[in-house]
Amino acid sequence: MTEQEEKQVADLLKESMPPVNRELECDLWPRMLQRLDEGSDRRHWIAVMFSPSALSAVPWFDWALLAVLVLGVCVFPRSIPVWLYHF
Amino acid sequence: MNTHPYLRAYMAGIAVPTMLLLVVLTGFLMARYTFQIPVPIERAIVFPMAIVPNLFGVWNIFYLWLRPRRHLPIGFHGAILPFVLAPSGFILATCSGFLSPTSSGLVWFHQIVVPYVFLAGGFCFALIAYYLVWKYLVGFFNEVLGIA
Repeated sequence: MTEQEEKQVADLLKESMPPVNRELECDLWPRMLQRLDEGSDRRHWIAVMFSPSALSAVPWFDWALLAVLVLGVCVFPRSIPVWLYHF
Repeated sequence: MNTHPYLRAYMAGIAVPTMLLLVVLTGFLMARYTFQIPVPIERAIVFPMAIVPNLFGVWNIFYLWLRPRRHLPIGFHGAILPFVLAPSGFILATCSGFLSPTSSGLVWFHQIVVPYVFLAGGFCFALIAYYLVWKYLVGFFNEVLGIA
């Protein structure tokens, strides 16, 4: 390849590639914050904990266990201070 | 970057009993001043205020440490805790003078008699309660703090 051909190839390569913008077009931080906001759950944690989707995910036997506990406390109300002590 | 997972595990662990402490204190005050049960609040509150929350935190750290080695679901891990808490609570209550073992059963706060036959049942209730609390409440806080 002659020197002239090399120059031609170099010119063609320069033309085919867009110039690199060394400076950022704008501040990227607001866009980053916006993306973080989109991903986060803004609801209060109590709302998340007792949301219908969370409650419906509880299996039936855990509801049964909770019912047994409540029933036990109702049958033996005098045991409540002992419960309180152990919690 | 150190993300301090054990510190977060401790915080997630103590969150539930710390919140429940308000309920406990209210219950003790109602028992003493409304239902005239002679609960020595100043002595009885030590266990639920100081020992239970710290044990929850340490137990959650233990859960996190144990997870890569021998994984146990968090509910079952929590259900083991009464095996530690019940004897320590019993010893502290006996030393503090508001639990006395008698021939008919355990007498709590000089008034509430728990016959020995009911102790096993009561312990099963504690296992259920701790299973549910750990599975749903501590598990939730672990998720919130990113260590679930």
